[in-house]
Amino acid sequence: MADVTRRRFLVRAIAVMAGAIAAMVGAPAIGYLIGPSSDRSGSGDWIPLGTATSVQPGDPVLMKATVERKSGWLTDSQEVSVFVSTENGQNFTALSNVCTHLGCRVRWVPDQSGFFCPCHNAVFARDGSVATGPPPRPLDSFETKLEDGTIFIKEA
Amino acid sequence: MANRKETRSARVGDWVDERSGWRLAWSTVFIRKIPKVNWLYTLGSATLFVLVIQVVTGVLLTFYYVPEPAQAHASVRYITHELSFGWLIRGLHHFGASAMVILTIAHMLRVVLYGAYKYPREITWLTGVMLLLLVFSFGFTGYLLPWDQRAYWASVVGTQIAEVTPFIGSWLKTVMLGGEEISALTLPRFYGAHVWALPAILLSLVGIHLYLVVRNGITSIPKKDE
Amino acid sequence: MNEQEKEEYLEEYAEEKKKGVDFFPDIIFKDTLVMLIVFLILFGLSAFEGAGLEEIADPTDDSYTPKPEWYFLFLFQLLKFFPGNIEVVGVIVLPTLAIAFLAALPWTDRSTRRHWSGRPLVTGVTAALFAGGVFLTVQALLEAPAPGGDAVTAQGDPVAELYSANCAGCHGTSVVANPGTDFYRVIAGGTHEGMPAFASDLTVEEIDSLVGFILVPRGNDTFAATCGDCHAVGDLVEIEPSELRDALALGADYSPHSGAGVPVWGEILSDDVQAQLLNFLSAPDGQRLWSQQCAACHGTSVAFEGGEAELRRVVIAGGSHLEMPSFREQLSDEEIAVLAGFVTGAEVGPEAAALWTASCFGCHGGRIPTATSHAAAVAAITTGGAHETMPVWGEVLTDEQLDSLVDYVVGVASGSGASGGKELYAQNCASCHGALGEGGPNPTRVGDIIAPISTAEYLETRDDRTLEAIIAQGQPNFGMSPFGSAFGGPLDNEQIDAIVAFMRAWEADPPVDLPPEVPDVPAATASGSEVFAQLCTQCHGVEGEGPIGPSLKDETWQASHTDEEIFDAINLGHSATPMIAWGEILSSAQIGELVSAIRDLGRPPPAGIPTFEANVLPIFERSCNLCHGTSGGWSGSTYSDTLLTGDPSPTIIPGDPLNSRLLQTLNGTHPQGVVMPPGSPLSDLDVETITNWIVGGAPEN
Repeated sequence: MADVTRRRFLVRAIAVMAGAIAAMVGAPAIGYLIGPSSDRSGSGDWIPLGTATSVQPGDPVLMKATVERKSGWLTDSQEVSVFVSTENGQNFTALSNVCTHLGCRVRWVPDQSGFFCPCHNAVFARDGSVATGPPPRPLDSFETKLEDGTIFIKEA
Repeated sequence: MANRKETRSARVGDWVDERSGWRLAWSTVFIRKIPKVNWLYTLGSATLFVLVIQVVTGVLLTFYYVPEPAQAHASVRYITHELSFGWLIRGLHHFGASAMVILTIAHMLRVVLYGAYKYPREITWLTGVMLLLLVFSFGFTGYLLPWDQRAYWASVVGTQIAEVTPFIGSWLKTVMLGGEEISALTLPRFYGAHVWALPAILLSLVGIHLYLVVRNGITSIPKKDE
Repeated sequence: MNEQEKEEYLEEYAEEKKKGVDFFPDIIFKDTLVMLIVFLILFGLSAFEGAGLEEIADPTDDSYTPKPEWYFLFLFQLLKFFPGNIEVVGVIVLPTLAIAFLAALPWTDRSTRRHWSGRPLVTGVTAALFAGGVFLTVQALLEAPAPGGDAVTAQGDPVAELYSANCAGCHGTSVVANPGTDFYRVIAGGTHEGMPAFASDLTVEEIDSLVGFILVPRGNDTFAATCGDCHAVGDLVEIEPSELRDALALGADYSPHSGAGVPVWGEILSDDVQAQLLNFLSAPDGQRLWSQQCAACHGTSVAFEGGEAELRRVVIAGGSHLEMPSFREQLSDEEIAVLAGFVTGAEVGPEAAALWTASCFGCHGGRIPTATSHAAAVAAITTGGAHETMPVWGEVLTDEQLDSLVDYVVGVASGSGASGGKELYAQNCASCHGALGEGGPNPTRVGDIIAPISTAEYLETRDDRTLEAIIAQGQPNFGMSPFGSAFGGPLDNEQIDAIVAFMRAWEADPPVDLPPEVPDVPAATASGSEVFAQLCTQCHGVEGEGPIGPSLKDETWQASHTDEEIFDAINLGHSATPMIAWGEILSSAQIGELVSAIRDLGRPPPAGIPTFEANVLPIFERSCNLCHGTSGGWSGSTYSDTLLTGDPSPTIIPGDPLNSRLLQTLNGTHPQGVVMPPGSPLSDLDVETITNWIVGGAPEN
């Protein structure tokens, strides 16, 4: 009987110790593997686009800014393009130029007063809402602010 | 087997056993008697354990490490300082290398002490000697990979030591480095050896080594008159 | 082991097994417990010690002290016991024997005895191997102090510091080497064991003093005990050995020592110790000995027709082999008397030294002959003729110094005998390094610039042996192929010597000077052309013509580089050249202006009077019409618009640039508004073109 208890104890102890080692390697390993996905550098930064004077009431203006994005140990720059428009020269609206359907670049068509996507002939209204075509949602918009005559957008 | 409770897990076990024979394999390896031994006999399994640690952490390191001079150091720094638990994975691998050396040598000394290399375990011993050399080869090739000053210069010294070999020394060094000196060609070479070539050899030899250990059993502690 | 013994063993083993324990769980429990302990140790080391990561590998950093991982230290340490030719024993033979011993164990030890006491040889040898490895490892750990912390510096001796900074990391506290090792060559050129070449980091004097330190460690101790109270090593290393010998021999009679209570070291110290001290302070280096001892009279001419043995005889014997002119005709009696007083050490006025410099220095250099009496000195000066002009070097120099001096002279003499150094340089080197060693773009590596090799700094920091080695072995890292025949190149040693001798001729009057660090940081407001004039002209020439840097006005250069490339080159610089990263000094805006200023170099101002269509409109199109074409106000899109639009118009008064509103706006002389174009003014060349156009009456075509 004592032998059985001893045996049971040994098996349990082995399981506990092996489990402890596995946990101390396994849990960190999972954190290690999924680590970069939780790292969202750059979001929430204000990106300067250009001077406010270049945007006048009327047609939206396509403005470009370069954003430094860090992936692991590398930093590369990406270009962000947004359509900026204003009603009064004080408040600005910034819309992504990426069609929400399949990611084609939309362009402003003054005649139709809308954004036209060449891929599937979708049209977005001036405020970004879908006028016609397949896109599932309006153009992405950015929060904007005006500081010292420069328009900033907030990175999503 | 007949009185075994018909639990679900046992049924699954039976089903798998019928198709794989795992119970036989399990009992061959684990359910056996071995002579009474002392704590020195844990050195071999401890070496095996550290090897497993090295394999696991080594595989994990390759998820981020880039064997290219411009990026190697940056990727290692990223692993060490920025990635969550990167310090642990790299630390285990780094110190595990030293542990491998210590444990392998200690294990070997135990074998010599108890005369365990004798009949019928000669092949086990021979593979063991080869494994010792392999462990050193791992240490040498792995040391360059972080591409920091210490790694670089230690490898400069190490490869220049190889040059002393009579007749083929300088040729040997050129082959090792992929050129006259440590360059962009050297790093991928060392990486390939450390991550692909050496592990393939090592794991084959470990397989033979373990098979022989199970087949022949471990030596008993020799008595004075033996 | 015969069959019966085998059977017996197997039986016995089966017996042991039956009495034994269960592998699972008993043994596995022990194993798992040990695994857990091992793992916790590794975990703890990772957490508290951490796997270190040093700076990124820098192959050019020769000051780094390489050290293998600890489990290779035994091999590293073993090497120290097997220097030179027998190195192979330590590196290959011993480890191979050890491994062979281990691998062959089951076949060499065939007895049935298993207990260790029954196998004394095997257990003994194994224990010895293990103990040896541990001993070597521990010794290496103790001997090689971590860089920075070292035992040798405690003496506060600069040479010892030099030693501990450069050598102790690998060599420990002392270097053991075969007698006759050429330490200078080893230190300057490095060895194949991984010792870097120190020639580029240490000056010739530093290497000399290191050689002295290594060769005669006791010389260093002697120095500390005898001279160290008053002198720093660096001071005395500069002094000629003959003078040092005098200082030792004369005691208080040696004039700088008079009254200082200096004992007569020559009587206190044995000859051996004195030789060590002299060797320590003036270690054998032929090149330096030549410049100290011989160059004053012989200049750089080392041509010697005879053989090595004859040269050695001449040097050792010294003697009267020079004809001194008679000064009776050239100097007045008073002057001769003054000079005689000067050489006999009598009290003379300052004019004596001046006279010496004028009449005697050319041949005698700093070595003032000593005359026994005033009359003898007068006689020697007036009659001239052959008298003892060369010291008896055999008494002054140590044997090592004589050897190296003779070697040097013979070596260089045979090299310069060919006198083809200049031609050889022109044939082999000039295509990459330039006729004057000024360097230029590296043809083997795109974007790389070869730094000048004819600067004083370059030549002074590399001795002849280093230059010879560079030429002979090439610089594979930088695309220079080996030129020495021993390395597969076209030149034999004599030819390489000749090239080095030719390069040495630059040293006295370097054709190329590196720019001083940064002369003055240009003001943040300095315009592109001002910055160019202040900084860039040093290498690129006043008009961008070179010659040190590439010609910037060259058409192909202009065509093959985009503005961005030029901007990056200025901003980031080219490593290993005088072209530093100016981005650290200049603002981006200034670099931008600099780029347009450089562009101007490639566009010479138009000859004659500029016209609107050919010269002015392109400027407007480029810089003005983006805004002005569409937004009203002045427009520069056509000739008539340019002259007629604007508020108030006209903006251009042909023939009167000062009152033309356009120019006032471009120059910032108009009281209202900003300088146009806002933020990036036109380059000086553009403004000049427009000005000339207005001065010339603003023609359309």
